[in-house]
Formats: sequence, C-alpha cells, structure tokens
Amino acid sequence: LGQGFGLGSLAVLSLLAEEQARAKPPLERPAYDLRPKPPVHPPKARAMISLFMQGGPSHVDLFDPKPELTRRHMTTFTGDIKYDNAAESSPKLFGSPWKFAPRGQCGMELSELLPGLAEVADDVTLIRSMHTGVNNHGQSLYAMNSGRITNGRPAVGSWLTYGLGTESQDLPAYVVLTDPGGLPVTGTEMFSNGWLPSIFQGTVVRPREPRILNLEPPPVEAGAPQDEYLEFLGQLNREHASERPGETDLAARIASFELAARMQTAAKEALDLSSESQAVHRMYGLDDEATREYGSRCLIARRLVERGVRYVQVFTQTQAWDHHGAIAKALPSACRKTDRPAAALVRDLKSLGLLQSTLVHWGGEMGRLPVIQNEKNIGRDHNTYGFSMWLAGGGVKGGCVYGKTDELGHKAVEDVVNHYDYHATLLHLFGLDPATLTFARPGGAGSLLDGQAGRVVNGILA
Amino acid sequence: MIRRLWTCSALVLLAAAAECRPARAADEVRYETHVRPILKAHCFLCHGEEDEHQGNLDLRWVKGMLAGGDSGPVVSPGDPDASLIWQRITAGEMPPGDKKLSNAEAAVIRTWIEQGAGTVRPEPDRLPEGPHWTEEERNYWAFQPVKRPPLPVVRDEGLAANPIDRFILAELEENGSGFSPPAPAETLIRRLSFDLLGLPPSPESVERFCCDPSPAAWSLLVDRLLASPEYGERWARHWLDPAGYADSDGYTEDDPRRPWAFRYRDYVIRSLNADKPFDQFVVEQLAGDELLSPPYAHLDGPSAEILAATGFLRTAPDGTGEGGVDQATARNDVVAETIKIVSTAFLGLTVGCAQCHDHRYDPISQEDYYRLRALFEPALDPNNWKKPAARLVSLWSQQEEEQAAQVDAEIREIEGRRVAELDGIVAEIFEREVAALDLELQGAARFAKATPEADRTPEQQQLLKEYPSLNVDRGSAYLYEQQRLKDFNKKYEDQNAQTKARRPPEQMLACLFETPGQIPPTAVFYRGNPSQPKQEVSPGELGILAGQVAEIPSDDPALPTSGRRLAFARSLTSGRHPLLARVIVNRVWMHHFGKGLVASPGDFGKLGQPPTHPELLDYLADEFVHSGWSLKSLHRLILTSHCWRQSSLRSEERETADPDNRMLGRMNVRRLEAEAIRDAMLDVSGTRCGKMYGPAVGVAPDEVGQIVVGAGMRDGNGIFIGTADGMGGEPFRRSVYVEVRRSMPLGVLEPFDVAATTPNCELRTTSTSPVQSLLLMNGSFVRSQAASLARRAASEAGDDLEGQVERAWRLAFGSRPSEAETAAGAAYVQSQKARYEASTAEKKEHDPTPAERALASYCQALLSSNRFLYVD
Repeated sequence: LGQGFGLGSLAVLSLLAEEQARAKPPLERPAYDLRPKPPVHPPKARAMISLFMQGGPSHVDLFDPKPELTRRHMTTFTGDIKYDNAAESSPKLFGSPWKFAPRGQCGMELSELLPGLAEVADDVTLIRSMHTGVNNHGQSLYAMNSGRITNGRPAVGSWLTYGLGTESQDLPAYVVLTDPGGLPVTGTEMFSNGWLPSIFQGTVVRPREPRILNLEPPPVEAGAPQDEYLEFLGQLNREHASERPGETDLAARIASFELAARMQTAAKEALDLSSESQAVHRMYGLDDEATREYGSRCLIARRLVERGVRYVQVFTQTQAWDHHGAIAKALPSACRKTDRPAAALVRDLKSLGLLQSTLVHWGGEMGRLPVIQNEKNIGRDHNTYGFSMWLAGGGVKGGCVYGKTDELGHKAVEDVVNHYDYHATLLHLFGLDPATLTFARPGGAGSLLDGQAGRVVNGILA
Repeated sequence: MIRRLWTCSALVLLAAAAECRPARAADEVRYETHVRPILKAHCFLCHGEEDEHQGNLDLRWVKGMLAGGDSGPVVSPGDPDASLIWQRITAGEMPPGDKKLSNAEAAVIRTWIEQGAGTVRPEPDRLPEGPHWTEEERNYWAFQPVKRPPLPVVRDEGLAANPIDRFILAELEENGSGFSPPAPAETLIRRLSFDLLGLPPSPESVERFCCDPSPAAWSLLVDRLLASPEYGERWARHWLDPAGYADSDGYTEDDPRRPWAFRYRDYVIRSLNADKPFDQFVVEQLAGDELLSPPYAHLDGPSAEILAATGFLRTAPDGTGEGGVDQATARNDVVAETIKIVSTAFLGLTVGCAQCHDHRYDPISQEDYYRLRALFEPALDPNNWKKPAARLVSLWSQQEEEQAAQVDAEIREIEGRRVAELDGIVAEIFEREVAALDLELQGAARFAKATPEADRTPEQQQLLKEYPSLNVDRGSAYLYEQQRLKDFNKKYEDQNAQTKARRPPEQMLACLFETPGQIPPTAVFYRGNPSQPKQEVSPGELGILAGQVAEIPSDDPALPTSGRRLAFARSLTSGRHPLLARVIVNRVWMHHFGKGLVASPGDFGKLGQPPTHPELLDYLADEFVHSGWSLKSLHRLILTSHCWRQSSLRSEERETADPDNRMLGRMNVRRLEAEAIRDAMLDVSGTRCGKMYGPAVGVAPDEVGQIVVGAGMRDGNGIFIGTADGMGGEPFRRSVYVEVRRSMPLGVLEPFDVAATTPNCELRTTSTSPVQSLLLMNGSFVRSQAASLARRAASEAGDDLEGQVERAWRLAFGSRPSEAETAAGAAYVQSQKARYEASTAEKKEHDPTPAERALASYCQALLSSNRFLYVD
C-alpha cells in the first residue's frame, strides 16, 4: 500500500499548505445562534412550558394530604422549625381546612381546591418531596430556576436554548409570559441568560401592547404605518445599494429587515387567539373573568410550543402564592385563577398529540409550614424543606405520585428531589447531559448543576 | 482505512495543485520547514519537552529518532513502512488521544522518510539544554528587526501623495492596476469625521469643505478634527478594546462594579487628545507606579494621572474580591488574563498556550511564559494578593482626610446611641410578649432570654421554641412595631445623612503598585498547574527576541520597587523592539481601513495572518518611532495618502483580480461600530450631551430585562419602576462613558458587536442580524432619537415640509438630497400623516400630532438606513 501512495513532494506540500490555511483559527470570535442543535441522546421532550407559581403554594392544602396534621390540629408543635417571620409565628399546628380525595384512575389524592387538575390526574406526575433548603424566596427561586441559590446565573430556559436552539427561526426561542400583577420577586433574573450569550435570554411577552418590545411595533405604528416605513426604508436602501454594486453587506441588511418583518408577522400570528375555536376558549376559561387573563397566557404558551418555541415560562403575579396570612381566602382565589387553565393546557396538548413531547411544569419555589403564622389572620410561613410540584408529558409518567414528606408535611423524607435532581432529570428528558452541557467560565466550565450531584429521578420517567 | 482516505484526498489535491502551480525545484519535503513543526505540534510535549521523555524517546531532532527509545530507532530512512513512527501513526496509536495527525501531515512525514529522512543543515552532536529554536523559527518575519525599506518606484508619480502610496501603488501597478479615483468631497469628510471622531460631520462643515477649492483644505480639515476633544473619545474606545476595559469585575455572577475604573478610561482619552508620545503612554500603563515613589498619598495632578495609567493592568476579570471563589484559581486567572491582555495588546502574540507547555506553533517556550509572568508578579503576587479594595489610592488632601476622620468619629458615636436605644425598644417589646404568657412562665422566659444562646438548657430552648414570638431581636423588632421602628430608623438615618454630608466626597484611584521589598520568586508551573511549581525563573522577555531586547533586572537597586515592569516597558519602547511598533501601527491602520495590514491584530504568530504589505508595515513602524511615537502624525500620514482617499466603489476588473481588496486598490465600505451608531444618532438628533470624563453612566435591566442606561429603580418587590429619572443629560452622553458592566452589555450596543470583555477584544466582528433590524424598527432608543431629529429638523427648517425633509436628510447624512429624494421623502411624510390620522390606536394627551409622527417616521427611516449605518 505504501508504494501505491507515490505522491510527489509537491502534492504533499500543497496539501499541507491548504490544510494549514484552513486550520487557522477564525479571526472573529465564535458567533452563537439559535439554529436547532441535536441533543446528545434521543430526547423525550422537545419543548417545555413552566407554569411558575411564585410565592410558594401551600402543598399541605393542595397536594400533600396529612391526616396526622388534621388529627393534631391546634396542638403545639415542639419539633425543630424555621420561621421567616418570628413576630407572627405560632407553634400551633394547623390541619388543612380543605378536603382531599383520590382522583383519576390512579387515585392521586388532591385537594378540593384543584378540581381541574383532578380531571387530568392520570396524565400527571406529582412530586411531594421537593427540597431546596433555603428559606427565602430569592434564593429558592434562584435554586429552582437557575441551579444555585445565588443570582446572576443562566435560567433553565437559557440552558435549553443554548443546548438545543429552537425549531422556529421566526419566533423567539425562549418566551416569558408575564403577569399584569408584576414579575416574580427576583425580577428579570427569572429569565436572565446570566453568563451565557444574551441571545439565550428569555424574551418577554408583555400582558399589554406592544406585547414583545422590539419585536412588535408600538400600537400606533402597527400595521399600515410600519409597512409603509419598511417599504420606504427598503426603497432608500435599494437605491443606496444600487449605487454600490457588489457591496453584499448592504443586500444582507436589506434581507435582514425582511426577515425581521417576517418575525413580526409570525409573532403577531402566534399571539392572536381569535383563530382558536369557542370550545378551546371555554376550555382555557377565557369565558370567565377569574380565568380569562391567565387562561389566555396558557393558550398562548400552547400556540408558541406548537410553532416550535423551545421554552415558555408563564408567571403568576408577584408573590401570588405567598400566603403568610388570610390563606382561607387567598389560596382558593389563586387556585381559581390557575387551576382550570393549567388543566386545560395538559388536556389540550394531549388532544393535539403534543403532550408526549412537551413537558409541562406547575410549581413554585417553596411550600408552606404545617404550623400557623398569624393567629389573628391565619396563614402559613415559608417551607423549602418539603414541598410539591407537578409535571406532565415530555417523557414523565402519568398518574404517578413520587416522594414523601414527614407525617406533618414539614420535611421531605422519602425520595427527596432537590432542585439539582429536578434539573438533571429535566436535561435528561431533553436528551442533554448535565455534565457536558457547559459554557467556558473564568473559574472553569459553568453548567446548570454546577458540580452539585444531581441524579436523574428515574422513578418518574415514563 | 486511514491511509485509503488520505490517499484519495491527496490525489484530488495533487490534481488541483498541479494545475495551479508550476513545479519548482525547492518543493522537496524539508525536515526543518515541514516535518519539525508537525512533530512540535503533536509530539514534543511527551517526547522531548518535559524532563522525562516518554519511552525514552526524544523526537526533537532526527538524531533522537535514529537513536530511538525503548522500542529501538523510530525512523528507517527510505523505508517508511519499516519505520516505527510511521507504523504507530497509521495504526492510530500515536499521538494518543483524539487529536490525530491530519492526512496531509501524515503524508509529509511519510514522504520525508521515503526521501531519506535528511536535514537541510547538519544537527549538533547534542541538543542544547532547554528550549532551542531552529533557524526557520528565528527567521520568522515578526521577530526580525524593523528595517526601513527603500521607497518603491512607481510609474504614476502623480498619484504618490506620500510614501504609503508608493508601497500600495507599486504592487497595484505590478498587477496591471492602479488606485481608484478619489472619493467625492462629501464622502471624504463623512469618512474622515467618523474615522477620527466617531461622529458625523455637520451639514455646515460638509458645505464649507465641499466649497473650499484650496489645496490645503484637506490637511487643514484633518488637523482640525485631530484637534477636537471628540478625537480622544473615539480613539480611546479603540484602545480600550485590546486593553479589556470594563467598569466591573466580571468573573462571578455578582459582577461587582469598579466605581473608580473610569480614571483609567479618562487617562486614555486625555493622553490621546494630548498626543502623548506612544512610548510614554506604554511606559505609564505598564509601570506608572514605578515612575513615582511609594507611598502613593496626597498625589498632585500629574502624578495621579501617571498612576491612573496602571489601570491598564487592572482590567482583567477578577473574582478575588468575592466570597465563594477559589482564591488560588482566581488569582492565577487574574495573572494569566493580565498577561494575555499585555501580550495581545503590545506584543501581538498569543503567549497564553505556553502557560502549560511550549507554544505548539510559535517559538515561545513554557519558560518564556513564566519569565513574562515574573515581570508582573511583584505587583500581582498570589501570596500577597491585593484584593480590589486594596488597590485603591485616595486622592484626598491631608485636610480632606482629617475632615473625613472627624465625620467618621461622629458617625460611630451616633451608631452607638442608635444601638443603645434600639436595645431598649427590643427589651420593651420582649416584656410585652412576656406579659402575654401565663404568669408562671414569665420568670422562666426572662431567664431563658437573658441566657446566652449557647448556654441555654434544653428546657429553655424548648420554651423559646414554643413561644417563637419571644425571639425578638434588633433585626426583627420592626415586625412587632412597624410605625415606631420606621420613625426610629428615620430619625437616625436623617442624623447620619446630615453628618455624612459634611464628609468630603470619596476620590479614589484604582491602580496597580508593588509593595517595596516584596519580590516573590516565580516558578514554572508543571502543565500550568499553580500547585505544582517547578524550577524558578528570572524575569525577561521572550527568548527568541534575545539580542533585540534589554535584560530585565530582578530587583533594580535604584528603585524602591523591583523595577521589572519599568525595565520591560523601556525595552518595549526602545525603538529596537521588533513587535511593539508593528503591532501598534497595524492597529491604527486597521481602524483607518477596516482591516489591518496583518488581519489578525492580536496574533502576529504562525496561526495569525501574514502581512499583506510587509514593507509598508515596517516603513510605518519605523516612521512612527522616528516621528517621536506621535499617533497624530501617523494619522496625518495615513489620512493624507491618496490610498486612504480613494473611492470605495468596486469595479468589475478589480473584483476579478482582487475580490478581497487585499491590494487596497479601493477603500473598504464599513459599517459603523456599535458606539458610533449610538453616538451618531444622539449627535444628529441634537440630544448628545458633550460632557467629558468622570464616573460611568450606569446601566440596569428594564422591566423586560433589556439593559438600558439608567438607575433601573425597583420597588420593594423587585418591580421595575423607572430608569433614568433625575439623571439629567447623563443618558445622552457618548457611549465611551456608558458603564461597561461585564454581565450587562447595553441593549442598543450589544447587537452591533460590542467589544468582548473576556478578558479583552483583539478584533471586533461585524455581523448583520434581524435582531439589529428589530432594534432599529421598534426599539425605544431609536424611536426617541428619530423623534428628536424630527423636532430639530422642524425647528431649523421652519414650516415647509420639503425644507424639513431636506434638513433631516442633511443632518443624518451630511450631503444634500437630490430633488427626487426630497420629493419622495415629502410624499412619504404626507402619506404617513394620513395613516396616523386614520389610526385607531389609543391616543394620549401629550402624544405628538400625526404630522410630527410622520416626520419622525421619516427620520427613523433615515437613521435605520444603510446610508446612515455604513461609511463609504
């Protein structure tokens, strides 16, 4: 074989020279884009909708029935407990005033406050053993949403779009549907790209016009005025380019305005709910004052995912679930706003055949204590040592209850799922490897888990 | 399999190569030129470079290969198949790991062995100790002394306005071509204005220049612009790119601010405006502290300025002031990044890879790297580290210092009173909570509370747990009595504020300096690992430059400090250093033409690009040094050349002969940089605030997370409530004054390829993306600037619509629109006006009228058009 080679020096050297020219590092730094990228192993989930319940929904009143707590109602709790508010704190245990009953074929026990969820219980995995272990909103939000209790890190959605890009180049990859009542307490950190390139930041769809800043024109420009502006600009640019033949950058910029206009049209179309049927409107509760606003955003989330958006966050208003007091009124009201639309989203995705590839998440950054806060106006204080959240679709089991808290619902004691376990599982469902999805940082490779020993929670995988 | 693949591709290339190049006698495979660089890149580390040679094999010379290692000789001259090195390569065994030899590299090795495995020059009997470089490496162009070349002779003498033209034109003529005609006057003045000031020319100055027939008009214009203060702002930003300037530490997520970094930025602006000789500029940045004497207290103005220059060595991302950071790693990173900044900015070399092993391509040994490091370690000493707060030098006078000390004492006294009163309130609240308990528990509760936490009995602990409201303390008192604590806090806050108002404002300088007498030893780190130091090294420059650079003393007895950086800076600026002047004139050239003579301004090594005009590069470098290192003279030389004044229009012939414009037979059309786009919008709209210098204008995320200029105020729930309230003209200052927060690039700059700050930026990209388009179409900054431009045009042109349209065009582009362009613009405004009138969108009281909106829409089209964004 060696003799068959027979190339002269000239060929060998020119080959080498060409190769060396090619191997030179590019002059320009790497550009990041949102084109679809293959995961490292076959994915179950392709998109995710996170219904984020900021404030800390009371798991002992919604998801995690505690007969022992009811039995010891109004007796003094003498175990170790951490209060956020010492002045109003009370050691008295408080049984849930709401009734629990088995739901669905699976018999998942849920509170009467969640009639909607009850109807889709067989499509849901309920985790009752969540744990972050930091007793305030900010840190626990950071933990649940960006992997560690510190600020400045990339959000889960930024990681997913960094790792996988997005399916639609006409829509933002990562969309955030904010509540008219304000952002979660950590503000824009909830969808910050942290130290990932800024194209992986969440794009906010605002609850008022223009819904997407920069992507949508202000109302007064929308439609004909902007079309006219683009036409006139195109004319200016074409004349300018025609005087400069061969200047391809100029043509590229003309094309980029055309692409931008297409993106506007695509966004407008995706946010327009008028083409959805009356039945769908009703299912999401658009016919009801209590659910209209939130239901619209759930429906928009579905439409976005349907059109290839990778990750959507739907927020509730600032501290919507932070029921330190008046829980008897406030908790049912928060449930009324979200329960029916959230269930509709699961049912709708399923009927469209999208649920198996779309992971739906419902949960917040904490749960609540089994004891009373404020005996004069009963509520519950923070609890990040044991709380509940649910997932549906995207490769998780239906009708599954996972993990346990202690007999009073205070601490997760069985199959504990830490935030980093949740994140490891999430990346796994998307076909990503938590160890290899990294970004170069000054102190070494940065990642979502950041060295925390997260485990994939196999018990919930379908 | 491997072999089949490379045979095929080699044959294809053989055919291609045979077509395009005639065979030459010199095309034999040579060890020194072809083979050794391959082995150096892939094999030397294990087989030669490190103390222990794997398999006792030294591949750094042919004799080593013939002598072989544990498995015998590795090369059989003439017989590759019998050569162990070939067998291991084809078997995929060597080199180990993922990075294998490419097909071409393997073919070179094989051919060389086939041809007898010879060398061009005889090898010595033994290899010298330590790194050694071949003649080829020593002869590399960038390491040769700068030699002023003779001026080329050109046929068309009339086109050779100055020496630059001769170099460019000679090559063009040789290729049967020549210069493009000069650009029209209005193009030239706009080009010049953006080039030197980063701002557009005013319509009046365009008019004046275009009507001035005097032959001196051009050089007078160049001089006038070079003398404007905006020149320093523009060119400072160019220098801040490779310097890695930022107003924050980066490194950690917190990204703490560097509130005093601005003094370095201001130093650069002042130095450039004053045309400070570049050698002095370099010396001050590398060793300003060593030009002064410690302690650096009560500095006068000029001394403070010189010390501020050392901010250059404080730009690297830095996590050492933060908790939760591994200090050893973070400190090492700061030193490494600082070396990267110094080497890319001044040496045009990537020395960073020599941190772990000899550079794979360039003659830079690992020891070289640590010799460079030794220059900086007396100031960046990992074992005596100055955290960010310890790098600040106060600019207070003695009197201000005393006044501050007095205020501080008063504040301590107030704090003492505050705490005493607060403890009284806490005790009162506690008593009330106790009173609510059953009588028999009260005594026990008081006793439990009075017992220090660590000494409490289990019963006491239990009691306090059962009645958690007893746990009132200074921090939680407000939860019990909100109004009282509010009033209490206000009282003391007011007292504090009144007292503090008498404290002179802080005036600090962030800088770099050594602690006299503290000179740490510097060692080579085994494979770059700071915890595995090996032999010690003395400070010095790259070994390959020996003879051209000065020796660096370990400790200059004439100075209180080590004198290492000062000696290094003096050597760099001696006028004999082969790199510095070339690197700097190349950067200047790049900013004038859009592309450097060396297209990789931060890498003059083998992985960078070779110079397109090596003789011109040397001529400029030599001229720069001999003109007294004057940047302004260099600008003048370039700007008065015919070459720079050429038209940027492409022609078919030129495109065929030189599609990349390598020969510079025309000017390049360039897109404005991010800062120039923002600044130009502020300028033409009349909103630009001309204030120079001082603390950075802050940035913050707005309600949707976009980074905007402003304080980014949020309420207690973190809800965004405003941006720029009360900032006056600050938001409208030039971009060079806007805070460079590493984690928060400004939303209107970032999409237009703003400089990287990790750690520095050698070369900016120029991208075109729909994100930019959306920003121009819908972004509030662009829209508000368009509205301002419209108001300005209307107020300057009066009521006549065509006049307004023409005025806006001239403000935006400098030139006058044609009649057709004015007519089209006016027609556009009319039809937009009708559309706004018909609009059903909600109207508010202070909304602009449809006519105002329509003119603003026209202005927005101008500001987002290519005529605005590009310079011919």
